[in-house]
Amino acid sequence: MTGLWRILLAAGMAWGVLMPQGGAVAAAAKRLEIVFVNPGKIGEVYWDMVAQTMQAAGRKLDARVEVLTSERNYRTMQELGFGVVARHDKPDFLILSNEESAAVPIMEAAEAAGVKTLLLSNTLIGEDAVRLGPPRQKLKTWLGDITTDLQTAGERMANALIRTARDEKWQSPDGKIHILGIGGDEITPASIARNAGLKLAVDAAPDVVVDRLLFANWTQSEAETVTANYLSWASRKQIRPAGIWAGNDPMALGAMRAATAAGLVPGRDIQLVGLNWSEEALREIRAGRLLLTDGGHFLLGGWSIVLLRDYADGCDFAAVSPRVEVKTSAITRQNLGSVADLIKTRAFDRIDFARFRAKAGRCGHYDFSLDALVSSMPVPEGVAD
Amino acid sequence: MSKDEAMTDPERHEPAAPRLRPVVRAMIWATVPVLLLVQLLASTGMEASSFWSQISQLDAHMARVAESRAELIAEPLWKMRYDQVTGVLNEIMNDETIAGATVYDDTGAAIARVVARSADHSIAEISRPVHYSNGNIAVHAGRIVIDYSYAGLYAGAGSRMVRLLVVGLLATFATLIAMRISANIFIGRPLAAMMSAIQRSKQDGRAYPADVKSSNEFGQLARAFNAMQHTTSGALDRLGHMAGHDPLTGLPNRRSLTERLAVASRDGGRPDALVAFCFIDLDDFKGINDTFGHEAGDNFLVHIAERLRGAVEAEDWVARLGGDEFVVIRPEVGHEKAAHAFAQQVLDAISEPIRLHDKQVVPRASIGLAVRRADDPELSHLPTLADIALYHAKSKAPGTVAVLDEALQRDYRRRRDLELAIPTGFAEGQFEVWYQGQVDFESHDVVGLEALIRWRHPEHGVIGPGEFLPLIERSGNNARLTRYVLTEACWALQRLAAAGRPQIRIAINLPPSELADHSLAAELRATCARFNVAVSSLELEITEGSLINNIASATATLHRLRRLGATIALDDFGTGYSSLAHLRRFPLDKVKIDKAFISEIPDSAEDKAIVGVIASLAGTLGLTLIAEGIERPEQAAAMREMGVRFGQGYLYQRPQPLDAMLEWLAKRPKSESRIVTDSPSIAPEFAA
Repeated sequence: MTGLWRILLAAGMAWGVLMPQGGAVAAAAKRLEIVFVNPGKIGEVYWDMVAQTMQAAGRKLDARVEVLTSERNYRTMQELGFGVVARHDKPDFLILSNEESAAVPIMEAAEAAGVKTLLLSNTLIGEDAVRLGPPRQKLKTWLGDITTDLQTAGERMANALIRTARDEKWQSPDGKIHILGIGGDEITPASIARNAGLKLAVDAAPDVVVDRLLFANWTQSEAETVTANYLSWASRKQIRPAGIWAGNDPMALGAMRAATAAGLVPGRDIQLVGLNWSEEALREIRAGRLLLTDGGHFLLGGWSIVLLRDYADGCDFAAVSPRVEVKTSAITRQNLGSVADLIKTRAFDRIDFARFRAKAGRCGHYDFSLDALVSSMPVPEGVAD
Repeated sequence: MSKDEAMTDPERHEPAAPRLRPVVRAMIWATVPVLLLVQLLASTGMEASSFWSQISQLDAHMARVAESRAELIAEPLWKMRYDQVTGVLNEIMNDETIAGATVYDDTGAAIARVVARSADHSIAEISRPVHYSNGNIAVHAGRIVIDYSYAGLYAGAGSRMVRLLVVGLLATFATLIAMRISANIFIGRPLAAMMSAIQRSKQDGRAYPADVKSSNEFGQLARAFNAMQHTTSGALDRLGHMAGHDPLTGLPNRRSLTERLAVASRDGGRPDALVAFCFIDLDDFKGINDTFGHEAGDNFLVHIAERLRGAVEAEDWVARLGGDEFVVIRPEVGHEKAAHAFAQQVLDAISEPIRLHDKQVVPRASIGLAVRRADDPELSHLPTLADIALYHAKSKAPGTVAVLDEALQRDYRRRRDLELAIPTGFAEGQFEVWYQGQVDFESHDVVGLEALIRWRHPEHGVIGPGEFLPLIERSGNNARLTRYVLTEACWALQRLAAAGRPQIRIAINLPPSELADHSLAAELRATCARFNVAVSSLELEITEGSLINNIASATATLHRLRRLGATIALDDFGTGYSSLAHLRRFPLDKVKIDKAFISEIPDSAEDKAIVGVIASLAGTLGLTLIAEGIERPEQAAAMREMGVRFGQGYLYQRPQPLDAMLEWLAKRPKSESRIVTDSPSIAPEFAA
């Protein structure tokens, strides 16, 4: 399996070296001006990586990506967005994330100014979704959205836990497999989707019980606290905890510390899963303490540039749907090597984003899978060795 | 007077009166405990009900707190955010009544516990289940237990009780003060005013009004009291005057005399000044009453009083002590002679004739005068001293002024001693009967003995009857003495008979009072019978005075005695009335010629003439004559010449006790038993 990966990686790298002209040709068509209002703050791993992949893709696809950071303040975000819309030299595209539904006024302003917008990661929800309907209807300039299928991610994570527990026969005295769920929060769509995935998986497994779905605000320390509480409770209830499902990697790592503190050996007595492809998670996977980390959705940044390049070049992704949902992928010990370095070094320029553009006549059809990603990158020297 | 005092002086009864318990204090004692009790009960009751309602409110509040906390902690508990659970618990710890709170999860483990810094004992506990539910599930997440304390309530109730108590006490105290003040103003002060008026009235016998001006019941009471005091005041004045004055003459009375003397001794002018005290007794006032009636007697007294008032100076003082006794005091006289002159002047004023029922009456009085220095401690004894002098005047020289001197005082003291010694004298047989013989002038035979009483006093020696018989009479012992003499005489008769002298008779003096005693005759007979002597051997001597005081009774007694056989002799004839009619009227056998007529015989022709007349009269009336006081032989010869056959006196023998008499008789030649009962009067009496 590893050998095959290596071959693919090597092939991709060779292709990248061989195809710079194609990108140049495409870029020659028109250089795009794209502004991304980043809802996160500098140093926030996910959003940093989104911006970095966006810029890396821009470099590959002849687009200048300007990143404005709103430092996790939605007012700042709105001010930045309004500022962009009001510019004299308006950008071709404005990429927003509807965190806390703060993007809607910006979208409406952009509609008025004729600036095309794309929602990334968080799309319209609730009342806004009802009021504004699908893209390109009420808001003509709202081209669409690109999101991750986090429900499937959550389901995949849960199923991995269940599978392992069944294999290891970690049933409790009641004959059931008991799992702790740790969600980020209860209101953001990104969290709700993951949690729903967990529920889907467990509902499909009659021998599995989620004792609690606890919420740790995405943070490691809170996850450690609630996990400790859970483990203590479980021991009083004479439950043998089989797995911990964490909505992101930091929470998985916090849970891991709690489990260790409770005398459990992660990976041997109990399994944990996380999400985000974080560097630490990958390290723990390598050490055998974390079962998997799902994710890769930071690549939405790069993928969004791909969509907008194609759109600008007349190959509208809306041919399939204005709403592009990208599947995530799980990194386990098995496929760890292919992306670990990429994430560790954040060398996103190694990705040949041009390869992901829609093929002629197949507008709206994209393959953003891990396999495609891996094959888009040249085989690194260290790995090739 | 002392009896009056006892009746009118209420202070005598005070020791028995109950101790004073002020009405105000009694009211306060009756009110304040009730007030305190009611306040205590009311405040305790109110506080208790408030306390229980607070307890139940606190319980309800705690239940609500527990329920609301249970809702709040349901989610963090279920989601195992135990820090949040603790945070929620910490919020409620601001409530001071909460001592602690614990949250248990569904396994029963305490996952959050908070405890107040100060935990105390009165802990209540409330427990509520914690249910967690969201859209999908509804589970029992655990339990919340809150421990809370009633200490705050207890402390609050305690401090409120203390406050209520203090307020109650203050209110009671204020009420008490208000009661005291108002009771003092409305009750105490008027009562005190009336009390003070009564006290002052008690002190000096005047009726003082109470100074009360209020218009309430006490004001009315005070006005009624004052009206009564006014009435009492007049009555007291009259009473006071009456107590000190004689209603008949308007003169001060005996009671005033005591006060007057006290005044005289207290503020007599010069210390060497003399106080002259005249004790005046009207002579024979009884006679005036008997003669003119009591109304005239009273009139007479009023006249005398007016005269006395007229006879004295302004500074002198006149009083009527009662009956016919008056007192005149001159507070300052220079010397005793002046006092005597003053007394004489008073006596002269009295002795002016008075017209009573168109008849001239010449009042006669005796005055006892006593003079003492004003600073003499014996000043209060002046009435007694003057009375001694008066006694002397009345007994020795009626119608004169007798001045108290040392001799009179000595006499008085001796008289008083003897009078006091009479009972002892009887008891110890100090009275003795002596005998003096009566001799026949012709035969020189002793025909009879006169029994003469003597008092052999252990201190004063042998005392003659002249001195002590009046005392015996005054002390009411006449009858006793007479019985004693009679008994002795009978015994002497027995001895005489035994000595061979049965013919000798014994004469006994009968005092006037005995003649009024109807039992005398019977006793005489009984005594004679007891000694087995004949009544005819007894001779009873009486005086004219005893006859005229009660003629009818005396006559009856004499007849009775004579019928028994006793001889009756009229003693001391010639002095006093010397009524010849008496000699004829009364049943007499013998007449004793008073020694006053004998002593001058044979020198006095008048006395010889009188004795001669008496002797011839006696001869005519058939009365035996006996002369007393024969001291010389020529007297005996003269008597014999004038026809007096018998005599007695020192010529023959002085009175002597029986044994001496018997001895003396034994030495005399015994004449032949010739009974000299030549008194012919006996026979007619028996014949009649």
